[in-house]
Amino acid sequence: MITLVPLGLSAQGDPERGEVLAYTCSGCHGIPFYKNIYPTYSVPKLGGQNQEYLIAALKAYREGTRQHATMQAQAATLSDQDILDVTAYFVSIGENGS
Amino acid sequence: MNRLTLMTIVLMTSMFLAAITSPAHAAGGDYRRGLEKSQVCQSCHGRTGNESLQPSYPRLAGQHEDYLVHALKSYRNGSRQNAVMAGFAGNLSDRDIADLAAWYSRQEGLQDLDVE
Repeated sequence: MITLVPLGLSAQGDPERGEVLAYTCSGCHGIPFYKNIYPTYSVPKLGGQNQEYLIAALKAYREGTRQHATMQAQAATLSDQDILDVTAYFVSIGENGS
Repeated sequence: MNRLTLMTIVLMTSMFLAAITSPAHAAGGDYRRGLEKSQVCQSCHGRTGNESLQPSYPRLAGQHEDYLVHALKSYRNGSRQNAVMAGFAGNLSDRDIADLAAWYSRQEGLQDLDVE
């Protein structure tokens, strides 16, 4: 049921276009237990994450209010539409079930 | 090297090895304690971390344990800024953070991206 839209502020976006954009993201977030180098910790899982949260995170990286060198560099290349689409794709992973 | 120094080195080496190989260390925090301590967290993130009060709040269920630890410590030291989380994380000890991360990381929820 991909057509099920949550009540309230529902972000949208094109998950198919997002999947293409997410190719770069997969280089770190698609490798299970891939580690951030310093400080060392596993890069977070994104599949099934809430879209509004992901949008806020990417915009915070883009604006520099959330700091992480790699993520700031990546987010800087994304338009608002890109952010909508790529986060729509991340959400869709959760909807497809395990 | 005198005998006392040698004994000290042997003792410290064995303690170090015990620390890094013991199940307690490998398991990180205590998830049962984490559940007990998560009452405040639950009001926004839900019992398992899948029930976000607002869509702008992240799901926590199944997130990597060490990432959750990193996130909470970042809120606590101010390197990650969020007014709500700063208030809560500021009151947590390292032990609390380890226990909470143990609880939420063990719940069914978030997934890695598929790489095909």
